[in-house]
Amino acid sequence: MLQSEREKMMTMQQHQTAYVQRCKFTRTGATVYLGHLDLMTCFERAARRAGLPILYSQGYNPRPMMVFALPLGVGIETMCDYLDVSLDRPYDPDHFVKEMNAHLPSGLQLLTSKAIPEPKDSIMSIVTTASYRFEAKGIRKAMETAMEQETLVVEKMAKGKVKQTDIRPLLICLSQASDEDPDAVTFYAFAGSERNVRPDLILNSLCTYCGMDRALSENTRVIRTGLFSGTYPRIVPIEDVEVRPNTAGA
Amino acid sequence: MMNRPVPLTKADLMQVESPARYVGGEYNAIVKEDMLEELSRTGKTSYVRFAFCFPDIYEIGMSNLALQILYHVLNESPFVACERAFSPWLDMDKILREKNIPLYSLETKTPLCDFDILGFTLGYEMCYTNVLQMLDLGHIPFYAKDRGENDPIICCGGPVTYNIEPMADFFDIVMMGEGEEMILELSEKIREFKLSKDTDHPMTKEELLRNCDTIEGVYVPALYSFSYDKCTGAVITPVDDTVKKSITKRIISDLDHCSYPTTPVVSNLRVVHDRSYLEVFRGCIRGCRFCQAGFIYRPVREKSVEVLCEQGRLLEENTGYDEMGLLSLATSDYTKFPELAENLLSTFEGHHTSLSLPSLRLDSFSLDLMEKVQSTRKSGLTFAPEAGTQRLRDVINKNIREDDIFSALRLAFMGGWSTVKLYFMLGLPTETDEDVLGIADLAARIEKLYYDVGRETGQKMRRLEITVSTSLFIPKPFTPFQWEPQNSKEELIRKQRLLKDHIRSRNIRYAWHDFDSSVWEVVLARGDRRLAPVLLEGYQSGHFFDAWDDHFRYDDWVAILEKHGLSIEDFSREFSEEETLPWDHISVGVKKSFLLSERHKAHEETTTPSCREHCSGCGVACFGVGECFAKRNVNKEESSDAAK
Ligand code: SF4
Repeated sequence: MLQSEREKMMTMQQHQTAYVQRCKFTRTGATVYLGHLDLMTCFERAARRAGLPILYSQGYNPRPMMVFALPLGVGIETMCDYLDVSLDRPYDPDHFVKEMNAHLPSGLQLLTSKAIPEPKDSIMSIVTTASYRFEAKGIRKAMETAMEQETLVVEKMAKGKVKQTDIRPLLICLSQASDEDPDAVTFYAFAGSERNVRPDLILNSLCTYCGMDRALSENTRVIRTGLFSGTYPRIVPIEDVEVRPNTAGA
Repeated sequence: MMNRPVPLTKADLMQVESPARYVGGEYNAIVKEDMLEELSRTGKTSYVRFAFCFPDIYEIGMSNLALQILYHVLNESPFVACERAFSPWLDMDKILREKNIPLYSLETKTPLCDFDILGFTLGYEMCYTNVLQMLDLGHIPFYAKDRGENDPIICCGGPVTYNIEPMADFFDIVMMGEGEEMILELSEKIREFKLSKDTDHPMTKEELLRNCDTIEGVYVPALYSFSYDKCTGAVITPVDDTVKKSITKRIISDLDHCSYPTTPVVSNLRVVHDRSYLEVFRGCIRGCRFCQAGFIYRPVREKSVEVLCEQGRLLEENTGYDEMGLLSLATSDYTKFPELAENLLSTFEGHHTSLSLPSLRLDSFSLDLMEKVQSTRKSGLTFAPEAGTQRLRDVINKNIREDDIFSALRLAFMGGWSTVKLYFMLGLPTETDEDVLGIADLAARIEKLYYDVGRETGQKMRRLEITVSTSLFIPKPFTPFQWEPQNSKEELIRKQRLLKDHIRSRNIRYAWHDFDSSVWEVVLARGDRRLAPVLLEGYQSGHFFDAWDDHFRYDDWVAILEKHGLSIEDFSREFSEEETLPWDHISVGVKKSFLLSERHKAHEETTTPSCREHCSGCGVACFGVGECFAKRNVNKEESSDAAK
């Protein structure tokens, strides 16, 4: 087939109904050191190995249709992240989880999956809030001090330039539920495409404002513990968000 | 020895680019849990702990087929636990040095010095200094003679080891040829050695090495002495007559029944070539006189199409890669190539998996197939005429004719292709300015053809893009050109300019290769044991990652070479046909007399037919397998038919 014919065929392809699996996953171990693009590739390959009926994007470089709720930076573990995988047919969620887990590299694991209609709002757009857990010696005290500050100005690279930015408004509160362990703290922060704060910037601010040792901050274990939609305190875990079906394409 | 994983912290890993290079945990990676259990229970293990070392960064090593094959073969053995280690990039190198943390394996984070054996795969000469880096960071003495009874055994294999002499003093054992069987025989000897340690008669390392010398294909450099003088050349002599006089490479006779990694380790990190590899055959029927691979991998041995289709199916299923590369020296020389390609394409149907055919010969290609094969991506057409004139192509025995190129291109242009890449070599033996200008001329005529086709067919043509790229000729051991001189740097620069000045069309781009590294490559490729201290001094003054153009410091290397009383000219000169070559004690099966006659034919501008047309009696028939015999049997049948 010639290039021109192929182009024609691609545009001719009809919109296909997507059967979406909304999955919750964890990452630990070696995979913590993957960048977001590599992480996506790991999931794509696992789905391909499992022979799942994934849908591909159209165009010259078709990619499996997988959407992650929020990018996961290098060095961050997660106990609770989400992705939507589009399939070309209905699929049993438990079976989906089992198949994926048998083919993911160790460290990546699906916890649950839910069959949903093709969503009107992309999973990325509904994320507003994340919770994180930091583990390091004396971290609770440092975080408490940070929450008492009016501003937490840190340097951030944006478009190749160093920018000053105040991250204090992006921190919501410390978790009440967390126990009294002085070496661990869980907190809520804004997350998502509108307002987002990276955990490493928070750790930097702890060094600047709360006397945290630089080496200690660099070795702090960072775990994402939840992703939510809504406005704090009325937030809903992503898996419980009601899905508005996309009727436009049908 | 207890397993003592290295103490790298999160902060260390977060400081380096691509920390995923250093953590392992990939799909299909193998950790022998019962070995770990044994280690933690008793403090030692009966497993032979084998560290497979790749002297370049992770992303390059993970695209290496030899690594995947041997990792798989070793781990299939019930008594070997093979793990991987790679050269750490400069950022991690610095951390390991500053914190005095030994370089470690990815699977169990074990320091290299705690392994029984380290096996390096050497694919290119410029990685030599990275071997030294890995030994150094692995807390292992450089020179074989300085290593004690408890240091690991250091071995190597791979295409450049056929002349390992510049590095010979650093290795205990060198494996010549294809490793699948040899590496297990070697591991068995290591196991005997290891188990003997717990008996009343522990084996010494010297005994072990002499034991290994009995394995066919194994070269133990310490069992040979070296001398050099201007008249005789570099002479290697066995230390006594119990040692074998010459070492003949090993080959695998039956590739269909040889273990192949259909569950290769899949990197979590995107690597240089993110694809699985299906090796189609070994060897090459062609015999281009500059090409080392064409001689060292002889004879041609094919896998059956059934085995290939099954391996291809498994590879796709077990890796999840969306691309598969067919690997061989000239894919379209595979006798059942159309059948193989059709079958794989139907296996991949609907999976969004593409097939890449890196060494497709376009004098025999079918455009139809190309169209199907590259269904998702369309790269340009690639031709490697290597030389600009038919005369010079006859000299190098590149049997590609201009008529073939032009008729193939005509079809391609009619089918809408508009990107052409042309590969040439500069500095080939007997090359004149006319040959150099022939390159520019060929490109210009291809350009003309493109627009002629447009005119004839009335098609609207896209803008044509031709890339002419030149690399520099490097005389390599075990080729008919092994004696040839390399052009001086000045001469090469002049030729490059000449060519550049004659490429004038804006549709033709000229891409040239840096010559400094090609000049140094000659030194390493044709060097001898006098280079060991040069390499060590270079490494110790901070030169490694020489395969990386930004890190290679030509002037520094020349200075170090001269400090040791040597010069570039010592290795780039014409070698005399009378002198002993540093690699004369090694045999790849091809007779030296054959190489010599090929050299003479080159100078007479006479070509030699491919092995499929006619056997030229190179000597490789001594292995008793492959193409050499297929043809003969047919001939015999034909003649007996005729007799009837
Ligand atoms: S023996 Fe003949 S057929 Fe075999 S590799 Fe040599 S030249 Fe080719």
